[in-house]
Amino acid sequence: MNPLYLLESVERAYPRGGSTVHALRGVCLEIHPGELLAVEGPSGSGKSTLLQLLGAMDVPTAGRVDFDGRALANAKDKELTRLRRDAIGFVFQQFNLIPTLTAVENVEIAMVRPARERALELLATVGLADRAEHLPSRLSGGEQQRVAIARALANDPRVVLADEPTGNLDATTAQEVVDLLIGLNTDQAVTVIVVTHDEDVAVRMRRRVKLRSGEVVSDSVA
Amino acid sequence: MPSIRYVGNELRRRRTRTVLTAFGLASGVGLVMGIVGVSDGLDEAQAKVLSPLSSVGTDILVTRTVGATTSTASASPSPSATPGVTREGPGFFAAGGPPGARGGNALESLNDSDATALLNDNSSVITDLSKLGKAGTRFTHDFFLSGTMLTFPSAALDTIKAIDGVASATSALTLQAQHQTGTVPEIVAEVKTGGETLTTTARPAEMTSAEQTAFRSCIQRNGGFGGPVNQSSGPAPAPSPGSGGEVRRVEIGGFGAVNKCLPKRFQEYEAKVVTPLRTIQQLVNPPQTDTATTSWTAAGVDPKSPGSGLITKQNISSGTWFTGAANEVVLSTTYAGKQKLAVGGTLTVNGKAYKVVGLADPTLTGNTADVYFPLSTLQDVATRTGRVNEVLVKVADSSQTDEVAAAIKKALPGAQVVTSKDIADTVTGSLHDAQQLANRLGGALTVIVLISTFAVAVLLTLSSVQKRVREIGTLRALGWTKRRVVGQVLTETALIGVLAGVVGIAAGYAVSVAVGLLSPDLSATSSGVAAGASQVGELFGQTTTSLTRSVSLSAPIHLSTIALGMACALLGALLAGAVGGWRAARLSPAVALRDLG
Repeated sequence: MNPLYLLESVERAYPRGGSTVHALRGVCLEIHPGELLAVEGPSGSGKSTLLQLLGAMDVPTAGRVDFDGRALANAKDKELTRLRRDAIGFVFQQFNLIPTLTAVENVEIAMVRPARERALELLATVGLADRAEHLPSRLSGGEQQRVAIARALANDPRVVLADEPTGNLDATTAQEVVDLLIGLNTDQAVTVIVVTHDEDVAVRMRRRVKLRSGEVVSDSVA
Repeated sequence: MPSIRYVGNELRRRRTRTVLTAFGLASGVGLVMGIVGVSDGLDEAQAKVLSPLSSVGTDILVTRTVGATTSTASASPSPSATPGVTREGPGFFAAGGPPGARGGNALESLNDSDATALLNDNSSVITDLSKLGKAGTRFTHDFFLSGTMLTFPSAALDTIKAIDGVASATSALTLQAQHQTGTVPEIVAEVKTGGETLTTTARPAEMTSAEQTAFRSCIQRNGGFGGPVNQSSGPAPAPSPGSGGEVRRVEIGGFGAVNKCLPKRFQEYEAKVVTPLRTIQQLVNPPQTDTATTSWTAAGVDPKSPGSGLITKQNISSGTWFTGAANEVVLSTTYAGKQKLAVGGTLTVNGKAYKVVGLADPTLTGNTADVYFPLSTLQDVATRTGRVNEVLVKVADSSQTDEVAAAIKKALPGAQVVTSKDIADTVTGSLHDAQQLANRLGGALTVIVLISTFAVAVLLTLSSVQKRVREIGTLRALGWTKRRVVGQVLTETALIGVLAGVVGIAAGYAVSVAVGLLSPDLSATSSGVAAGASQVGELFGQTTTSLTRSVSLSAPIHLSTIALGMACALLGALLAGAVGGWRAARLSPAVALRDLG
């Protein structure tokens, strides 16, 4: 089977002030469809940069990033945007819901073709069928993150990328959200990649990739 | 549609920004509308007061002034001319004169024919003291001058009416009148005229064969060339003094039969040769008496043309328009005040009484008169039968004014053709200054106001985008294209623009009302057209005619101004939206990931 992601000698450097910050130094990584993967590492280790490359939000300064056989390194913004919309779902630490839209509208706004039925269905799968018409401000943190997960699924993505999804949640709620992500992986065969520094989250993933100073220092499968 | 709801909700959530942006734009729109309104108000005041022709339902004024004629003197016998007073301007507007007959010497500013026409037209300046009565008695005498506005046959009116694009035309006669009162002096200057040797080369057309036959048979009948002489060639009859010219028989032979048998037109010609008016110079310097002269202006207007002419029915401020009687006059309000005359009063000119039927406020132009007569009445009074000196033309389509003016110039060489715009250009005064100011500053002010309000809108929109960095980044991460992000921001600002437009239009109305309440007065002075700066007029103490009018400024809001206001609001909003959208679209989706606290 083709790898979903193929990263070869990926470098990502940012100019900062007069010097250059090397966020990623020669990262090589293969991620296959259906994997349940944690990217770990302390802050500054390059995991956010890796997430941006995986999420087609950014391109490497050197090396190769392929998504399902398509090279992203030199892709134009339009292609990346389309790829994000059609194949990638995002879950953010801060939930990033549109505060003026209800839960169901937040799901709909991410859809290529907004469909109320489908949005409600997705909210039902995350257990929020009765909260569809609530504004984010009326929802708890866990509920907001579940709306965000429903939104991430709006266009039936091949991969869901979660950036510290439990960072703003208490331990119980965090476990519920992790359960939900694992459920997506097992029930719907969606590839789930979770960026986290929370051992409790990472330990529940099947594969753990550890980064330090922009390099992969450990890649283990449980 | 969450997108639409999103726009509405966004505007409501960021109410302060929405309201600030809208009111910023609205204030600009209101100001611009105010400026445009004032500018329109000035234009309308200009159109109303400063464009005298259009205010009397006319677009073009046709006159004949000295120096405008390009024809040379080629005096031809004129059977219709009254002996002694030949006002036919040779070559110009002359009825029946073929255009080809006119030579051209445009270099001479005042050529011979003009000089003659000028003097002829002003010949009634002669106050023939011998006719006023016995020495020592009081006399009053009004005489009429056309100044530099020379008269021409009223047939020119028909010529003009026939020109394409002329909707209607009416003729008028404006004369400067001199009112003299005094005592008949003891010494009356005796002026001898006539006796000059007249050299006139006339070439009547050759006799037609029919005429020749008739002539021959007539000669035969009357005994041939050897027949008795019926009429001896006696001395020329004594000229009557002061007639300004006299008739002289020209003997062409000693045979009475020839005289008798010549075709009529040869005889006619012989009877109508007019001597040049060389006595004028003597006559404009009458003997000094206690004669006092006051001047006034008289105008003859067509009573059947109440809609256009030197005055119109609309100018009548009290009384009525001419009812049709010949002995009616309309006075200008100022003149009536000076002369203490009112509607129903009587004005006496050369001993004849005229009934004042109305008072008028003539519109701003140099062609205003003190007394308006029915045209035919003034022609009689001033012995200008069949002559006018102004034709007021209304064109069918005002955009063709210049073309029609050119056509008139072509049809009537030497005519001075003036359009409304030409006259408006001569106007001075605070209204003129204000309009100049509005023209010069209005545009700049509008631009400054628009730039500053647009800048405010742009900055507020940019700040709003800055506050929504995470939100926009998220939408980009979710797959919103740059175009969709720009569209979102643009839609938001466009709605703000509509709101700003509505509020701004209301503000514009407020400015308009405020200007209307203040209604500052502006004055306008016109130096007039042809009658002004008349050399002959000055000779007789006639000062340049000018009229000052005062108008209240208003700032009317037209539909176009409202459209402009809305357009400005939308333009500003879209500009802000474009800049804000561009900024938003440049945001990396990665900003959604950043922990912004």
